Amino acid sequence: MINRIQKKVLILAMRAGELMMKSGAEIYRVEDTVTRICKACKIPYVEVFATPTGIFLSLDEGLDGEMHTFIKRIKGTGIDLEKISRINHFSREFTNTSLSVDEGLAILKMIAGIKPYPLLLRMLGAAVVASFTALIFGGALQDFICASIAGSCAYLLSMLLDKFDTNLFIRIFSCCAAATFVSLALFAAGLGSNFNSVIIGSIMIFLPGVALTNAVRDTLAGDMVSGTSKGIEAVVIAVSITSGVGVALKLWTFLGGAY
Amino acid sequence: MLQAFVFAFCTTAGFSILFHVPKKHILSAGFVGAMGWMTYTWFIASGSGSILSCFAGSCAVALISELFARFFKDAATVFIIPGILLLVPGANMYYTMLAILEGDVERTASVATETILMAGAIAVALLVVASAAKLLALMARKLLTDRK
Repeated sequence: MINRIQKKVLILAMRAGELMMKSGAEIYRVEDTVTRICKACKIPYVEVFATPTGIFLSLDEGLDGEMHTFIKRIKGTGIDLEKISRINHFSREFTNTSLSVDEGLAILKMIAGIKPYPLLLRMLGAAVVASFTALIFGGALQDFICASIAGSCAYLLSMLLDKFDTNLFIRIFSCCAAATFVSLALFAAGLGSNFNSVIIGSIMIFLPGVALTNAVRDTLAGDMVSGTSKGIEAVVIAVSITSGVGVALKLWTFLGGAY
Repeated sequence: MLQAFVFAFCTTAGFSILFHVPKKHILSAGFVGAMGWMTYTWFIASGSGSILSCFAGSCAVALISELFARFFKDAATVFIIPGILLLVPGANMYYTMLAILEGDVERTASVATETILMAGAIAVALLVVASAAKLLALMARKLLTDRK
């Protein structure tokens, strides 16, 4: 029978894996972390299979013991590099020093409770991204201001839609449409000089860079299932961005606006 | 050139805030992004196509990220994810849409192909550098253990 300590080790390993996956880590990193934690607690045979939507963990105590399999369904993904970094340090610490399982659970609970930067700061970040990208793609000073407004509006909308659990395609579609609409409205009001650069800047924060990067890294590590699914995610995001912008541009001319 | 550096640095730092990069790494992540973008613009300025330039820029990002990851003892992802974003062809995606709306089929095809190839170039660059880094690390470890 599985004893209490082993059960706790399992919870610890599963929670670490779940946290990493939810923060947007690569598959091999998740599998590596879970395996390392289990091995550090003297479980002889560990087999992990992680996908973006679930983790399967199988433990064997040897010939005399029993075999146990656990499945953890993972819902919702995001990107939180601080959490990935912390858990990375934690797993290294856990395997190299004699941290007890309870202490480990307490640390993981602390890491899970880490909040992202405050909303205002994140909106500022979105504004900075949008405005400087607008400058890079040939905008003037007034476009800098327009792009920062459009970018932070779009980010705010995406956070709002995120609260209501909207799916990825619709969320990015509507955010990009809104960003385009705001950019065109500002341009029509005579504020911007080059609406192309403003729109490019304000859709910048939705680009599928993370999905693309992780798809490559997963494929490289031999996790074809996750590699393809992340690749598809990148394609879906790209399609939703372009269609959002396209619909907004078409609607704008339909309503009689010029560009 | 300095202007491009500052713009790219600020953009990447903005992304770092959105993706919650640890506070101590925000400046280094900004540096990674800026160097990637500088490499890209340098290649463009010297007459290379956008696909090759994208490849070179992504190589620079991945390379510096791997170095920083070893140096700061942190995951390379922390630097790569914000650093690569400026190179992802968002502008081209927009121009593709514009061409579709104007009904210009030829331009749509050429811009869309370029966009896809640029994304592919980023992927290949990351793959090549990450594999090389892994290989080098393994070889170094093997040499060290052999000497013992």
